Amino acid sequence: MLTEGGTSRIGSPQLAGGAAVEVSGLRVRSASREILKGVSAGFARGRVTAVIGPTGCGKTTLLRSLNRLHDQRPGMRVEGEILLEGQSVYSRGRDVRELRRRIGMLFQRPNPFPQSIRENVALGARVHGLWRREEVDRRVEELLRRVGLWDAVHDRLGSSPFALSGGQQQLLCMARALAVGPQVLLLDEPTSALDPHSTARIEELIGSLRERITVVFVTHNLQQAARCADEVLFLLAGEVVEQAPVAEFFQRPADLRSRAYIEGKPV
Amino acid sequence: MSFFPAAQGTGRRAGPLPIRRPVRLRDADLTRRDRLVRSGLLLAAGIPTAMLVLIAAEMVVQSVPAFRYAGWGFFTGRVFSFGNLYVTKLQVQNGVSAPHGATYGAFTFIFGTLASSVIALVVALPLAVGAVLALTERVPVRLQSTVSIFFELLAGIPSVVYGFWGILVLGPLLAAHLYPVLGRLGAVVPFFRGPVGYGEGLLTASLILTLMIVPIIATTTRELVRGVPILAKEGALALGMTRYETARVVTLPYVRRGIWAAALLGWARALGETMAVLLVSGNLLNGLPANIFSPFSTMAATIVAMLDSALTDATGMAVHALAALGVVLLVITVVTNLLGRLIIRRVTGGAVLPVGRGI
Repeated sequence: MLTEGGTSRIGSPQLAGGAAVEVSGLRVRSASREILKGVSAGFARGRVTAVIGPTGCGKTTLLRSLNRLHDQRPGMRVEGEILLEGQSVYSRGRDVRELRRRIGMLFQRPNPFPQSIRENVALGARVHGLWRREEVDRRVEELLRRVGLWDAVHDRLGSSPFALSGGQQQLLCMARALAVGPQVLLLDEPTSALDPHSTARIEELIGSLRERITVVFVTHNLQQAARCADEVLFLLAGEVVEQAPVAEFFQRPADLRSRAYIEGKPV
Repeated sequence: MSFFPAAQGTGRRAGPLPIRRPVRLRDADLTRRDRLVRSGLLLAAGIPTAMLVLIAAEMVVQSVPAFRYAGWGFFTGRVFSFGNLYVTKLQVQNGVSAPHGATYGAFTFIFGTLASSVIALVVALPLAVGAVLALTERVPVRLQSTVSIFFELLAGIPSVVYGFWGILVLGPLLAAHLYPVLGRLGAVVPFFRGPVGYGEGLLTASLILTLMIVPIIATTTRELVRGVPILAKEGALALGMTRYETARVVTLPYVRRGIWAAALLGWARALGETMAVLLVSGNLLNGLPANIFSPFSTMAATIVAMLDSALTDATGMAVHALAALGVVLLVITVVTNLLGRLIIRRVTGGAVLPVGRGI
């Protein structure tokens, strides 16, 4: 599988089915404790990888390491290596702006900009200079249709997104993330605050991204992981317990702790 | 002390225990001592309210003769003179008598108060908001509180010190270096045309006022900016926006309403500020400032400057006239406050939440 565009632009090898993102020996420390203690994992190109594990195991921290969101927080120290298409994410000269354009993110709670619905979709592309002025309207419509929001919002593109339901807001954030053409999409429990209908819609969308975008999907919900993911990465107390294809993980987990976790027993 | 668990990440202790709802006691439950304390507290709470009402009432009562004497001319007239206080000849107007030649036209002072405070606000607002954004986005977190202390200190300097510094240092400095440059704008903007003066006048006073209200607006804005949810900002950062873009797209729309309120606070201060303005205003009594550099006066400054001679007026009209200035100032302050609150409510009442205008 090849990702759409992008990869050749940075001149990296396009390994079909290889890892789009590779993490090795990742350690992340906050001021008070070590959150990730040497995590190594690969996120297969064009596949959906669910990151699961109990609360506090470092799922979100791992996710936020990938697009360097820890840079913002003083006291967070990141060590180890993360490669996006073979190139180091944390290298000195790395353009973080461009990195974050290529690695989009959806958060636990919807966080649309306090801007109009239209601007929410268009702003990212504008700051990255991706769209020509005359194509903005068409692109915005295209993206809103793609996430299934167009019919609900087409007559109020100029108004505040905060009037929308939580699920609609999260879909808007999805459109916002897709607008800048990411190769990787990080999802941090994006449905944890949503109703079942919106959850289904988001899951459907994640499925539709398969083959085109590499998805890293943090979730607390094992059924959701089983439904949406191709692979599962199981974290426990800042360490990787097991990474395996989804069917294998749920039917024949290699590690006893995985089995216990799947069965809802204490690990 | 180790009773409170350490807050995660920061190493600080968790906050104090949550505040409980006040318990409403029935009269029958109160002891004699309780009742005594309660009446004492009621009295203490009542005094400020009573004071305010009494002061306002007294001001209005004192001002009535001057308003009657001058009529509408009080608001439109440009000459403010107590008349000849050395002879006993009186002048009667609208049934009220005042010293011969007395004219109470406060237009220049009303204009001066509004002009200086508005100019100060227009300069201070972007300065304060810019300073806050620079502080919260650029200065390392550890230094932020140190820098903030200076803002708060700036707000605590006595206004007479500002005025003194303004007349000795800032005014001459501006007149020598900045004003000649600004004066060139006179080719385009009429209000900048003409001599730039010696540093005592409308612009100097406005800039001193700016210095005084920037801390007020900035400290309020800083609290607002700190309150913007991190999640909201991270949405922009995760999309590859710079801190500047994040501030424009997320932070400012979130705090916009609050900034208007902060600006109002600053404006209220600028409207009533007396001593600093009096010192650097050049104290022009009768006439509008010729340009933005020339001397002028405000209502508050005039009250202070003229009270001494007003007390020598045997008819008492001069004091009435100054009281009338005070009432106008009071009314302007109250009206601008109410108007501002109304605008805030109008702006925010219709829309569900703020909608920015993008980049």
